Amino acid sequence: MATLEVKDLHVEIKEEKEQTREILKGVNLTMNTGEIHAIMGPNGTGKSTLSQTIMGNSAYHVTQGDILLNGESILDMPVDERARKGLFLAMQYPAEIQGVTNAEFLRAAINARRPEDDQISVMDFLKELDKNLALLDMSEEMTERYLNEGFSGGEKKRNEILQLLMIKPSFALLDEIDSGLDIDALQVVSKGVNSMRGDNFGSLIITHYQRLLNYIVPDVVHVMMDGRIVKSGDADLAKKLENEGYAGLRDELGLDVSLVDDNR
Amino acid sequence: MISAVQDYEAIKTAVETAANEHGEPHWFVERRLAAIDAMQDLQLPEMQRYDFHRWPLMDNLELNFRRSDKSLADDLPDADGRIRFVQVGQTTVAVNLPDELADQGVILTDIFSAFREHPRLTEKYFMDKVTKYNENKLTAYQQAFLNSGVFLYVPKNVVIKQPIEAYLIQDSTVKQAMVSHVLIIAEEGSQFSFIQHLNTKGVVENAAHCMVEVLSRANSHVHFSSVDELGEHTYSVLHRRANLSRNARFDWAVGIVNAQNTLGDITSELVGEGAHSESKVIAVTTGKQSNGINNRVVNRGKHTTANISQRGVLLEKSELIFNGIGDIIHGASGANAEQENRVLMMSDQAHGDANPILLIDENDVIAGHAASVGQVDQNQLYYLMSRGIDKELAQRLVIRGFLGPVLEEIPLPEVRQEMIDVIERKLEDGQHFN
Repeated sequence: MATLEVKDLHVEIKEEKEQTREILKGVNLTMNTGEIHAIMGPNGTGKSTLSQTIMGNSAYHVTQGDILLNGESILDMPVDERARKGLFLAMQYPAEIQGVTNAEFLRAAINARRPEDDQISVMDFLKELDKNLALLDMSEEMTERYLNEGFSGGEKKRNEILQLLMIKPSFALLDEIDSGLDIDALQVVSKGVNSMRGDNFGSLIITHYQRLLNYIVPDVVHVMMDGRIVKSGDADLAKKLENEGYAGLRDELGLDVSLVDDNR
Repeated sequence: MISAVQDYEAIKTAVETAANEHGEPHWFVERRLAAIDAMQDLQLPEMQRYDFHRWPLMDNLELNFRRSDKSLADDLPDADGRIRFVQVGQTTVAVNLPDELADQGVILTDIFSAFREHPRLTEKYFMDKVTKYNENKLTAYQQAFLNSGVFLYVPKNVVIKQPIEAYLIQDSTVKQAMVSHVLIIAEEGSQFSFIQHLNTKGVVENAAHCMVEVLSRANSHVHFSSVDELGEHTYSVLHRRANLSRNARFDWAVGIVNAQNTLGDITSELVGEGAHSESKVIAVTTGKQSNGINNRVVNRGKHTTANISQRGVLLEKSELIFNGIGDIIHGASGANAEQENRVLMMSDQAHGDANPILLIDENDVIAGHAASVGQVDQNQLYYLMSRGIDKELAQRLVIRGFLGPVLEEIPLPEVRQEMIDVIERKLEDGQHFN
């Protein structure tokens, strides 16, 4: 079993004119493989910042607290090392890279976590690739295209999940994997994530909407507001939020937090 | 350098003797001598924002013909099914031209055989129609000391699907400048692609003067690509010139991945109405090498289209200058000339520049340019690294993406892969020193 712990995490970003702004104001979270956690919360509350900071995006500066993977701090590790240790981030806006085919990229990513003298064979790679393409209802042609280049929003999301299935990380952070997906695509993406469920896989799912959680049922739901986790519960918490909205929960908890979309 | 009159007379005598012993036709020997005369007064060309005048390019003022060791070409990929010409130094190793193409009148042969056997084609077009020998000191040197090369003739309306390849391997196991010429005549309505490979064997310091002249007749459609991989002891001048007639289409996809200083000159003259040329160049520089590349398009005919796209990557302490020159001549109404010059700096000790130069002497035209000197895209790098790929490999993949628009132009998948491999090797070497 692997464990990911976030302890009293404070994160700030640099804005224009050298101003800094604190986004995360003391996040605590512990998750183990075998568990699916969901983080919900209103816009601008720091959900994506949390996932990017765990992955190691250099735009986010940790000012206090720690992130531990299996008891070891990963704060000083570069992104690629964190990935090789078992972290994966399905991004909201995946980069497009011309000239590098999807298949070639996938092989490089798989081989990056294997020793030089034990690289994956072409046969094994293709077998695994075909299996996962079928699962995600993707055509083989997608793998010969350049990485994300000219992909539609939905294709990019599927491609993120394809990478997840091929790389098989211990922990996957899924950042708004449902945004811009129609129901069919949502089901396919969920099927992909669910196929990973098991003792050796944990996931942190970031979403605005409860809908995704009908397909990927979480073990734990956290609600984030203003840079902190303000409430945790089981899958029913998400349903309650769907009915009452974030404002309802805020008022129930007596929090002094302004929601971005409060004035509508 | 030629300093005294006696020296120069002695050189002429020596060249004349060597050329005659080599069995060259009288007209060509005369041209060599005229070029030596011209060298006296001609200057080296000036290149905007770049100085190459102290490079050892014309130390060798002898004309020698010697046999090279054919085994220097042993490591080439298998020829099966490929149309190709292979030359090591001055020695032609192989000419693989299918019979059915020869029967249609296609000629693929070494340049000196062409002078002897096809004087009607070569005397008129060698360094006359496309490039004048007396343009500058380098062009005169080219004609005076020419010692290797290839001739390709594709008759009217002949369409060749398989690319024609020329491997021109510099023999630097001996002291001897490579003065090589590729002369291509594409007759009306012909269609083909040509791939040039430049390599060096041996470690003797030599210059390489490689010229390509292409005559693209009306309605012809020709694609030229090259993989330049000259060695670290080779200072090179690469002239590549095309002349386009009415409605001709001619494209360059040039990859300059030499290990030593290189002066690149790529020029497309769009003479005939409606001619169209895409001129794409990539270059990668490492160590302390310096590359200066002029990519020039000249719109002479009405409704001509000439686009330039150049992309370069600099590592370590290298220098790379891209000049994109768009020259629209008075009268070329309806001309279209766009250019894009971009360089990627992988080291803060490198020096790179991308200069668009537009010379427009006509009102009714569309012309534009974009230039940038930048760093690797951090988002792309982050994305690749977030999948566990280490920084160096991630950088190389992003660079390949940056160079993609030219790589994609190379018509043979094997050659495209060869180019990718050459670039990757060079990038890896450069990264190790960073």
